[in-house]
Amino acid sequence: MAAVARQDARAYARLVERHLGWSLRFVERLVGGRADAEDLVQTAFLRVWLGASRWEPNAKFSTWFYRVLYNLCMDHFRAHTAPTEALDEAIPDGGQSSEERLAGSQRAARVRAALAALPERQRAAIVLCYYEERSQAEAAALLAVSEGALESLLSRGRAALKKHLGRELH
Amino acid sequence: MTLDRFRDCAGAYGADRRRWPADAQPLYDRFARAAEGAAILAAAERTDRFLDAWQTGAPDDALAQSIAARASGPRVRRRIAWQATAFAAAAVIGFVIGFAQARNDGGADVVTQLLLGPASMRGIGL
Repeated sequence: MAAVARQDARAYARLVERHLGWSLRFVERLVGGRADAEDLVQTAFLRVWLGASRWEPNAKFSTWFYRVLYNLCMDHFRAHTAPTEALDEAIPDGGQSSEERLAGSQRAARVRAALAALPERQRAAIVLCYYEERSQAEAAALLAVSEGALESLLSRGRAALKKHLGRELH
Repeated sequence: MTLDRFRDCAGAYGADRRRWPADAQPLYDRFARAAEGAAILAAAERTDRFLDAWQTGAPDDALAQSIAARASGPRVRRRIAWQATAFAAAAVIGFVIGFAQARNDGGADVVTQLLLGPASMRGIGL
Protein backbone atom coordinates (compact mmCIF):
# COMPACT_ATOMS: atom_id res chain seq x y z
CA MET A 1 0.00 0.00 0.00
CA ALA A 2 2.93 2.34 0.62
CA ALA A 3 3.91 1.99 -3.03
CA VAL A 4 0.29 2.43 -4.14
CA ALA A 5 0.15 5.60 -2.02
CA ARG A 6 3.06 6.88 -4.11
CA GLN A 7 0.84 6.31 -7.16
CA ASP A 8 2.93 3.34 -8.31
CA ALA A 9 0.71 1.84 -11.00
CA ARG A 10 2.56 -1.48 -11.02
CA ALA A 11 2.13 -1.90 -7.27
CA TYR A 12 -1.54 -1.09 -7.75
CA ALA A 13 -1.85 -3.75 -10.47
CA ARG A 14 -0.29 -6.30 -8.09
CA LEU A 15 -2.70 -5.28 -5.34
CA VAL A 16 -5.64 -5.74 -7.73
CA GLU A 17 -4.34 -9.13 -8.82
CA ARG A 18 -3.97 -10.29 -5.21
CA HIS A 19 -7.33 -9.11 -3.91
CA LEU A 20 -9.66 -9.17 -6.89
CA GLY A 21 -10.67 -12.83 -6.57
CA TRP A 22 -11.99 -12.81 -3.04
CA SER A 23 -13.46 -9.33 -3.27
CA LEU A 24 -15.47 -10.21 -6.38
CA ARG A 25 -16.66 -13.47 -4.80
CA PHE A 26 -17.72 -11.64 -1.63
CA VAL A 27 -19.60 -8.89 -3.43
CA GLU A 28 -21.23 -11.25 -5.94
CA ARG A 29 -22.71 -13.28 -3.10
CA LEU A 30 -23.92 -10.15 -1.34
CA VAL A 31 -25.56 -8.46 -4.32
CA GLY A 32 -26.55 -11.65 -6.14
CA GLY A 33 -25.23 -10.84 -9.62
CA ARG A 34 -21.91 -10.86 -11.40
CA ALA A 35 -22.30 -7.67 -13.44
CA ASP A 36 -23.28 -5.56 -10.42
CA ALA A 37 -20.46 -7.14 -8.43
CA GLU A 38 -17.90 -6.27 -11.10
CA ASP A 39 -19.08 -2.64 -11.15
CA LEU A 40 -18.92 -2.36 -7.37
CA VAL A 41 -15.51 -3.97 -7.11
CA GLN A 42 -14.14 -1.66 -9.79
CA THR A 43 -15.47 1.31 -7.83
CA ALA A 44 -13.90 -0.02 -4.64
CA PHE A 45 -10.48 -0.46 -6.23
CA LEU A 46 -10.65 3.01 -7.73
CA ARG A 47 -11.32 4.37 -4.26
CA VAL A 48 -8.24 2.54 -3.03
CA TRP A 49 -6.15 4.18 -5.73
CA LEU A 50 -7.52 7.67 -5.16
CA GLY A 51 -7.42 7.43 -1.37
CA ALA A 52 -4.16 5.50 -0.97
CA SER A 53 -2.23 8.54 0.24
CA ARG A 54 -4.55 8.73 3.27
CA TRP A 55 -4.10 5.03 4.10
CA GLU A 56 -3.16 4.41 7.73
CA PRO A 57 -1.86 0.90 8.28
CA ASN A 58 -3.66 0.21 11.57
CA ALA A 59 -5.46 -2.80 10.09
CA LYS A 60 -4.81 -5.46 7.47
CA PHE A 61 -5.65 -4.27 3.98
CA SER A 62 -8.17 -7.09 3.53
CA THR A 63 -10.00 -6.19 6.76
CA TRP A 64 -10.24 -2.57 5.68
CA PHE A 65 -11.21 -3.51 2.13
CA TYR A 66 -14.02 -5.79 3.35
CA ARG A 67 -15.51 -2.71 4.97
CA VAL A 68 -15.18 -0.63 1.81
CA LEU A 69 -16.86 -3.38 -0.20
CA TYR A 70 -19.58 -3.96 2.37
CA ASN A 71 -20.42 -0.25 2.54
CA LEU A 72 -20.60 -0.06 -1.25
CA CYS A 73 -22.98 -3.03 -1.23
CA MET A 74 -25.18 -1.33 1.37
CA ASP A 75 -25.29 1.79 -0.81
CA HIS A 76 -26.18 -0.44 -3.75
CA PHE A 77 -29.04 -2.02 -1.78
CA ARG A 78 -30.39 1.39 -0.90
CA ALA A 79 -30.39 2.31 -4.57
CA HIS A 80 -31.84 -1.03 -5.76
CA THR A 81 -34.55 -2.79 -3.86
CA ALA A 82 -33.70 -6.30 -5.10
CA PRO A 83 -31.07 -8.12 -7.15
CA THR A 84 -31.78 -7.30 -10.77
CA GLU A 85 -30.00 -10.05 -12.63
CA ALA A 86 -31.53 -13.19 -14.04
CA LEU A 87 -31.24 -16.14 -11.69
CA ASP A 88 -30.25 -18.50 -14.46
CA GLU A 89 -26.95 -16.71 -15.05
CA ALA A 90 -24.25 -19.22 -15.98
CA ILE A 91 -21.87 -20.60 -13.38
CA PRO A 92 -18.42 -22.03 -14.09
CA ASP A 93 -18.66 -25.49 -15.71
CA GLY A 94 -15.35 -27.14 -14.75
CA GLY A 95 -15.52 -29.48 -17.73
CA GLN A 96 -18.92 -30.98 -16.93
CA SER A 97 -21.47 -32.31 -19.39
CA SER A 98 -24.27 -30.00 -20.50
CA GLU A 99 -26.79 -31.80 -18.23
CA GLU A 100 -24.50 -31.51 -15.24
CA ARG A 101 -23.89 -27.85 -16.03
CA LEU A 102 -27.61 -27.23 -16.27
CA ALA A 103 -28.30 -29.02 -12.99
CA GLY A 104 -25.43 -27.18 -11.30
CA SER A 105 -26.63 -23.89 -12.70
CA GLN A 106 -30.17 -24.53 -11.44
CA ARG A 107 -28.92 -25.45 -7.97
CA ALA A 108 -26.75 -22.33 -7.85
CA ALA A 109 -29.70 -20.22 -8.99
CA ARG A 110 -31.83 -21.63 -6.17
CA VAL A 111 -29.16 -20.80 -3.61
CA ARG A 112 -28.77 -17.33 -5.02
CA ALA A 113 -32.52 -16.76 -4.93
CA ALA A 114 -32.78 -18.09 -1.39
CA LEU A 115 -29.97 -15.85 -0.18
CA ALA A 116 -31.40 -12.86 -2.03
CA ALA A 117 -34.69 -13.39 -0.18
CA LEU A 118 -32.97 -12.96 3.19
CA PRO A 119 -32.73 -9.59 4.94
CA GLU A 120 -29.43 -7.93 3.99
CA ARG A 121 -27.74 -8.34 7.36
CA GLN A 122 -28.62 -12.02 7.64
CA ARG A 123 -27.28 -12.56 4.13
CA ALA A 124 -24.12 -10.61 4.95
CA ALA A 125 -23.59 -12.65 8.13
CA ILE A 126 -23.87 -15.93 6.19
CA VAL A 127 -21.61 -14.73 3.39
CA LEU A 128 -18.97 -13.55 5.85
CA CYS A 129 -19.03 -16.50 8.23
CA TYR A 130 -19.91 -19.37 5.92
CA TYR A 131 -18.48 -18.55 2.52
CA GLU A 132 -15.66 -16.22 3.53
CA GLU A 133 -14.91 -18.05 6.80
CA ARG A 134 -14.21 -14.80 8.65
CA SER A 135 -13.89 -15.10 12.40
CA GLN A 136 -16.88 -14.20 14.55
CA ALA A 137 -15.00 -11.16 15.86
CA GLU A 138 -14.17 -9.90 12.38
CA ALA A 139 -17.65 -10.47 10.98
CA ALA A 140 -19.29 -8.87 14.01
CA ALA A 141 -17.02 -5.83 13.74
CA LEU A 142 -17.80 -5.44 10.07
CA LEU A 143 -21.54 -5.61 10.69
CA ALA A 144 -21.17 -3.38 13.77
CA VAL A 145 -22.92 -5.88 16.06
CA SER A 146 -21.90 -7.97 19.05
CA GLU A 147 -20.83 -11.57 18.52
CA GLY A 148 -24.09 -12.66 20.18
CA ALA A 149 -26.08 -10.59 17.71
CA LEU A 150 -24.03 -12.06 14.86
CA GLU A 151 -24.94 -15.55 16.02
CA SER A 152 -28.57 -14.56 16.08
CA LEU A 153 -28.34 -13.21 12.50
CA LEU A 154 -26.74 -16.46 11.38
CA SER A 155 -29.33 -18.62 13.15
CA ARG A 156 -32.24 -16.70 11.69
CA GLY A 157 -30.68 -16.64 8.26
CA ARG A 158 -29.98 -20.35 8.14
CA ALA A 159 -33.41 -21.15 9.60
CA ALA A 160 -35.01 -19.06 6.87
CA LEU A 161 -32.93 -20.80 4.23
CA LYS A 162 -33.99 -24.15 5.57
CA LYS A 163 -37.63 -23.13 5.50
CA HIS A 164 -37.38 -21.56 2.06
CA LEU A 165 -35.76 -24.67 0.68
CA GLY A 166 -37.60 -27.20 2.79
CA ARG A 167 -38.39 -29.52 -0.06
CA GLU A 168 -34.80 -29.64 -1.22
CA LEU A 169 -33.36 -30.07 2.24
CA HIS A 170 -35.66 -32.85 3.44
CA MET B 1 -28.12 -27.11 28.58
CA THR B 2 -24.88 -27.93 26.80
CA LEU B 3 -26.72 -29.90 24.12
CA ASP B 4 -28.94 -26.85 23.61
CA ARG B 5 -25.83 -24.78 23.06
CA PHE B 6 -24.53 -27.42 20.66
CA ARG B 7 -27.81 -27.19 18.72
CA ASP B 8 -27.64 -23.39 18.67
CA CYS B 9 -24.10 -23.46 17.31
CA ALA B 10 -24.98 -26.00 14.62
CA GLY B 11 -27.96 -23.85 13.67
CA ALA B 12 -25.79 -20.74 13.36
CA TYR B 13 -22.42 -22.01 12.15
CA GLY B 14 -23.25 -25.25 10.38
CA ALA B 15 -21.72 -28.70 10.60
CA ASP B 16 -18.07 -27.82 10.07
CA ARG B 17 -16.14 -27.50 13.31
CA ARG B 18 -13.79 -24.88 11.81
CA ARG B 19 -16.62 -22.37 11.59
CA TRP B 20 -17.64 -22.71 15.22
CA PRO B 21 -16.45 -20.19 17.83
CA ALA B 22 -13.26 -21.37 19.54
CA ASP B 23 -14.98 -21.57 22.92
CA ALA B 24 -17.69 -23.86 21.52
CA GLN B 25 -15.38 -26.30 19.77
CA PRO B 26 -14.91 -28.50 22.87
CA LEU B 27 -18.69 -28.85 22.88
CA TYR B 28 -18.53 -29.96 19.25
CA ASP B 29 -15.97 -32.61 20.15
CA ARG B 30 -18.11 -33.79 23.01
CA PHE B 31 -21.38 -34.24 21.10
CA ALA B 32 -20.48 -34.70 17.44
CA ARG B 33 -20.27 -38.49 17.68
CA ALA B 34 -23.16 -38.99 20.06
CA ALA B 35 -26.39 -40.04 18.33
CA GLU B 36 -28.28 -36.87 19.17
CA GLY B 37 -25.38 -34.62 18.26
CA ALA B 38 -24.76 -36.46 14.99
CA ALA B 39 -28.41 -36.01 13.99
CA ILE B 40 -28.18 -32.26 14.69
CA LEU B 41 -25.01 -32.02 12.61
CA ALA B 42 -26.55 -34.01 9.76
CA ALA B 43 -29.40 -31.51 9.55
CA ALA B 44 -26.93 -28.61 9.57
CA GLU B 45 -24.85 -30.31 6.90
CA ARG B 46 -27.80 -30.39 4.52
CA THR B 47 -27.94 -26.60 4.69
CA ASP B 48 -24.16 -26.45 4.23
CA ARG B 49 -24.34 -28.64 1.13
CA PHE B 50 -27.10 -26.48 -0.24
CA LEU B 51 -25.00 -23.33 0.26
CA ASP B 52 -22.00 -25.04 -1.35
CA ALA B 53 -23.95 -25.43 -4.57
CA TRP B 54 -23.29 -21.77 -5.39
CA GLN B 55 -19.69 -21.54 -6.45
CA THR B 56 -18.68 -18.27 -7.99
CA GLY B 57 -16.26 -18.13 -10.90
CA ALA B 58 -12.81 -16.59 -10.90
CA PRO B 59 -12.55 -13.05 -12.28
CA ASP B 60 -11.60 -12.58 -15.92
CA ASP B 61 -8.12 -11.31 -16.66
CA ALA B 62 -9.80 -8.52 -18.59
CA LEU B 63 -11.48 -7.27 -15.42
CA ALA B 64 -8.16 -7.02 -13.56
CA GLN B 65 -6.63 -5.21 -16.53
CA SER B 66 -9.58 -2.88 -16.78
CA ILE B 67 -9.37 -1.97 -13.07
CA ALA B 68 -5.62 -1.39 -13.27
CA ALA B 69 -6.05 0.69 -16.43
CA ARG B 70 -8.64 2.93 -14.80
CA ALA B 71 -6.01 4.03 -12.31
CA SER B 72 -4.14 5.81 -15.07
CA GLY B 73 -7.24 6.65 -17.11
CA PRO B 74 -8.22 10.15 -18.18
CA ARG B 75 -10.65 10.69 -15.29
CA VAL B 76 -8.01 9.96 -12.67
CA ARG B 77 -5.35 11.88 -14.56
CA ARG B 78 -7.74 14.84 -14.74
CA ARG B 79 -8.28 14.69 -11.00
CA ILE B 80 -4.56 14.58 -10.30
CA ALA B 81 -4.02 17.44 -12.77
CA TRP B 82 -6.67 19.50 -10.96
CA GLN B 83 -4.95 18.89 -7.62
CA ALA B 84 -1.59 19.96 -9.08
CA THR B 85 -3.16 23.06 -10.64
CA ALA B 86 -4.83 24.01 -7.36
CA PHE B 87 -1.54 23.62 -5.52
CA ALA B 88 0.31 25.76 -8.07
CA ALA B 89 -2.41 28.43 -7.96
CA ALA B 90 -2.22 28.55 -4.16
CA ALA B 91 1.55 28.98 -4.35
CA VAL B 92 1.27 31.85 -6.85
CA ILE B 93 -1.41 33.60 -4.79
CA GLY B 94 0.71 33.22 -1.66
CA PHE B 95 3.72 34.71 -3.44
CA VAL B 96 1.71 37.69 -4.76
CA ILE B 97 0.23 38.45 -1.34
CA GLY B 98 3.64 38.19 0.28
CA PHE B 99 5.15 40.43 -2.38
CA ALA B 100 2.48 43.07 -1.88
CA GLN B 101 2.89 43.03 1.90
CA ALA B 102 6.66 43.31 1.64
CA ARG B 103 6.36 46.30 -0.70
CA ASN B 104 3.94 48.01 1.69
CA ASP B 105 6.49 47.48 4.47
CA GLY B 106 8.90 49.71 2.48
CA GLY B 107 11.78 47.30 1.91
CA ALA B 108 14.57 48.41 -0.47
CA ASP B 109 14.84 45.19 -2.44
CA VAL B 110 11.65 43.25 -1.88
CA VAL B 111 12.46 40.53 -4.38
CA THR B 112 15.77 39.75 -2.67
CA GLN B 113 14.03 39.78 0.72
CA LEU B 114 11.35 37.44 -0.48
CA LEU B 115 13.78 35.05 -2.09
CA LEU B 116 16.60 35.10 0.45
CA GLY B 117 15.06 36.66 3.56
CA PRO B 118 16.18 39.81 5.45
CA ALA B 119 18.95 37.98 7.32
CA SER B 120 20.71 37.08 4.08
CA MET B 121 20.63 40.74 3.01
CA ARG B 122 22.34 41.71 6.24
CA GLY B 123 24.87 38.96 5.59
CA ILE B 124 25.95 40.59 2.34
CA GLY B 125 26.10 44.07 3.90
CA LEU B 126 22.75 45.47 2.68
